[in-house]
Amino acid sequence: MNGDDAELVALIDSELDGDAKGRMLARLAGDEELRKRYEALRDAGAPIAGSLEALLRQAPVSRLRAGLPPEVASRAVRWPFSGVALRDLAAGFVLGLLAAGAMAWAAINLAPREESENYENWRSAVAEYTDLYTKETFSSQHPDPSLAEKELADVGERVGAHLTPESVALPDLRFTVAFMLAYDGSPLGAIAYVDKDGAPVMFCIIANGASDAPVRTERRSDLSVGWWSRGGRSHLVIGRMTEEHAAELARTLESRV
Amino acid sequence: MSEASRREVRAGLEACLARLWRYAVVLSRTRDAADDLVQATCLRAIERADQFVPGTRLDRWLFSILRSIWLNEIRARKIREGGGLVDAEEALTSDGAKAVETNILAAEVFRLIGRLPEAQRETVLLVYGEGFSYAEAASALGIPVGTVMSRLAAARSALAKLK
Repeated sequence: MNGDDAELVALIDSELDGDAKGRMLARLAGDEELRKRYEALRDAGAPIAGSLEALLRQAPVSRLRAGLPPEVASRAVRWPFSGVALRDLAAGFVLGLLAAGAMAWAAINLAPREESENYENWRSAVAEYTDLYTKETFSSQHPDPSLAEKELADVGERVGAHLTPESVALPDLRFTVAFMLAYDGSPLGAIAYVDKDGAPVMFCIIANGASDAPVRTERRSDLSVGWWSRGGRSHLVIGRMTEEHAAELARTLESRV
Repeated sequence: MSEASRREVRAGLEACLARLWRYAVVLSRTRDAADDLVQATCLRAIERADQFVPGTRLDRWLFSILRSIWLNEIRARKIREGGGLVDAEEALTSDGAKAVETNILAAEVFRLIGRLPEAQRETVLLVYGEGFSYAEAASALGIPVGTVMSRLAAARSALAKLK
């Protein structure tokens, strides 16, 4: 190591300030040997960040996640709210969701509305927070097959349904994450998909004791909802799509779940 | 604050696992030790979650725990047990380079990084891998900024000779 190396490297790293930077730049302008040393140090360090990035990509995240204590591992589903600014979220229950951070299993109580039957009201609550999802909310989620299977199995267990990657697969939609919420004391499973443009589509199941009901559809703002009830559970599919499409997705899921 | 602290620590742990593992690999130069180190870090973080200040950088708090465990427990134990530390010449050539072997250039550079002394490797990781400023790295490592500068310069100088 040469005597000037520390300052040269600091200059390369944009960490040399004011006078010191000015002096070094002036010396570099008139000293060819110093310039060669600068270039050698710069070139030697250039691939370091890429090498460390490559190592990061090799991290055995699934194995490390499996080593987490159960109370953390069960909450270790990546939370999909990244990219949503707090200031943009006015609804109190959404703030509650965010306060819960990445704890996808947290029992979050969506504030019930004034209507009397919770198996009617929950559609309103789900529509309200679905309206806040953006193309960025879920599109970065790419769970490996084993994680997807585990998330679905865990959610299915909580709402009393058998959920697998196959049973919830929908045409032209990519599964991103499954997580638990709660509504008015009832467990509410949420399965998020994105379309080819990243637009979110949600499939939600709530174990609310509702009577069986066939698939119906409705519009809520610019969202279409397809919903039905069976086996003491209510289900809905919601997203920015036509009502016909929502009905089609609902019928597909009704036949499998 | 303690409940908020615990919640934030539990919620943020998973997102930091890969970076903790990379830090652990750079320090320990073996995958087995890195796995152990990350697991111990997570357990310690949960035990001491009350000490985390909500709203501050969880990743850096976790790094400090990992580093403390490495310096005070795992590395010390390896020395006590006679296993010693991996020779600088062996560096990350086995486990570390294997991890990046899909990228030949990255693997070669990583092999070279692995030959650096631990203090230099760690400083290189924090500044060039984690984006710490010199001042932040100095604070995290408990050393003057001038020492950060000299470590990075020594590391680059060594890499320039090894290439």
